[in-house]
Amino acid sequence: MTQSAVAVERLEKTLGANRVLRGISFEAQPGEIFGLLGPNGAGKTTTLRIICTLLSPDAGQVQVLGFGTKTAPAEVRRRIGVVTADIGVYPRLSARENIEYFARLCGLEGADLVSRLDGVIERLDMGSFAKQRAESLSSGQKQKVAIARAIVHDPEVLMFDEPTSNLDVLASKEVRDFMVESKGRGKCVIFSTHVMHDAERLCDRMTILHQGLVVAGGPTDEVRGDKRDLESAFLALVEA
Amino acid sequence: MHWAWIVLKKELTEVLRDRRTLLAIGLAALATPIVLFVVSQVSSRTATQTYTVGYSGDIPTGLDILLSATGLALEAVPDPAAAAKLQVDLGVSFRPHEIDEYYDPTRQSAQIADIRLQTIVGQYDAAQAAAALKDRGIDPGILTPLKLVPHPLSSPVKAASNAFLSFFLPYILITMILTGGFSAALDSSAGERERRTLEGLLLTPAPRSQLLLGKIAAITIVSLGAAVVAIGSMFVALTQISLPGSGAASNHITLSPTAAPVMVGLALLIAFSFSSVTLALGTLAKSFRQGQAYVTPLYFVTILPASIILFIPDFNPSLAYYLIPILNAVLVLRDAIVHDSVSWPALTVTTISLLATGALSWVAALRLFTREALLTK
Repeated sequence: MTQSAVAVERLEKTLGANRVLRGISFEAQPGEIFGLLGPNGAGKTTTLRIICTLLSPDAGQVQVLGFGTKTAPAEVRRRIGVVTADIGVYPRLSARENIEYFARLCGLEGADLVSRLDGVIERLDMGSFAKQRAESLSSGQKQKVAIARAIVHDPEVLMFDEPTSNLDVLASKEVRDFMVESKGRGKCVIFSTHVMHDAERLCDRMTILHQGLVVAGGPTDEVRGDKRDLESAFLALVEA
Repeated sequence: MHWAWIVLKKELTEVLRDRRTLLAIGLAALATPIVLFVVSQVSSRTATQTYTVGYSGDIPTGLDILLSATGLALEAVPDPAAAAKLQVDLGVSFRPHEIDEYYDPTRQSAQIADIRLQTIVGQYDAAQAAAALKDRGIDPGILTPLKLVPHPLSSPVKAASNAFLSFFLPYILITMILTGGFSAALDSSAGERERRTLEGLLLTPAPRSQLLLGKIAAITIVSLGAAVVAIGSMFVALTQISLPGSGAASNHITLSPTAAPVMVGLALLIAFSFSSVTLALGTLAKSFRQGQAYVTPLYFVTILPASIILFIPDFNPSLAYYLIPILNAVLVLRDAIVHDSVSWPALTVTTISLLATGALSWVAALRLFTREALLTK
């Protein structure tokens, strides 16, 4: 049996007075796009933040490629890349310098660093603005910088948290294409979104969260069931 | 240390491209010479300015010449007391064997004119008495049976310049260390949250203590850089202008071999503490503007002890006072400048106090930098 890329087991988390996660479990495999769906406040971002070690669970555990988030957080962070809707870049650094900074913090240096930087800039078609300061980039270009810095260390697990919510149609398409390409390269892609149309098109399997609980999970076709589309199935689950 | 070095280099790159920080350092370089120039102009103008004395009655022979030579211009008025309120700086009514003086102590010009008048009248009285004694064949020396012969242990000019440095230099040092790194500290903490770059940074495998160390080191360097620029420009300015009590030119104002290393050591300790504190406070803020609101009170808290030297120049406290951060640094630096010596117990207590402050600030910054609320609130 192959090892899961991400294994989430009975995860619980309370933030302030809000019980955000109430014992959720799921597994995501290499070479698939796994959807983490749910309405706003369902617990998607908190789940992702626990997986990537930014938050600690109150109960339960997470394994990333066999490394526990509590026991080996640095090892986990070496193996994941995260892209969020908040496209945070350092405005006074160029696009390339932004990526280089994160690459160095991920342990890349020397010739390896240069070849990875060149590779990721070419792969995301960033050559025309790589030397431009980030403060002068468009939202789509900034999102490419964010993606580039998340993948420059070639992580096995990629997590996208509402990555297209601030982007126009063209930039959104590029992000979606990138997720599909990453899946083709054998990466485990976790895609958190509340846009059901995107999820239905892209995800192989998914888990639907609602009020901190898993209300449905499995292959996309199974979750959709006999409903017209995923959105109808989702509404039926959430309103039930 | 590898990760801290990466963060340090990146932070310094950003600072060198940040107009706010460069502007703060540039202003520091300009502000000190401008302040010194204004002080010099005001003091030289005060020294050479002529003040008006409104008088009535007959002026004793020769006194008018002495008064004119001392920058006191005489002007006849009908009522010296009334004239002293607004029209002239000083009112004087000459009567036989008596001079009535009228002045308003709330006016600085009246105070200066009063001092000049008293000095001249004292000298005039002494000269008249000496002449009268001489006419009678008596040695005027009996007027000064106990003659005071001063033997200053150091050059009075040097003492004046040391006195100036002892209150001005610590003040500039502390102000510039704090304000020089102010913008960089907020940009590196609250700015990371505001720009939404903090999450990405914390997602790297680098330990948070190393990330923080790199940031604090960068802010410390910027703070010290601002202080060096300000103090350097101060010494350059002092070669070009003269200050009260320091002679025609002030180019002899230098830092003694004792004071210089003491200042460098204290500056390092203070800069590290300030950097940790400002970074910790900035980490509490969600935006640069909110960070400014948190950090600004720190300026007043630190400037207050530094200002004590301005108001109480001869403040000689017990060793316990040297436990108070900032005040202790100001006191040690003052002693090193004025006396060209260091009290080792005071320096030891000061160093321990500043190290403890730095360590506590570091722990606080680390705790704040590693809390979950940094990302969830």
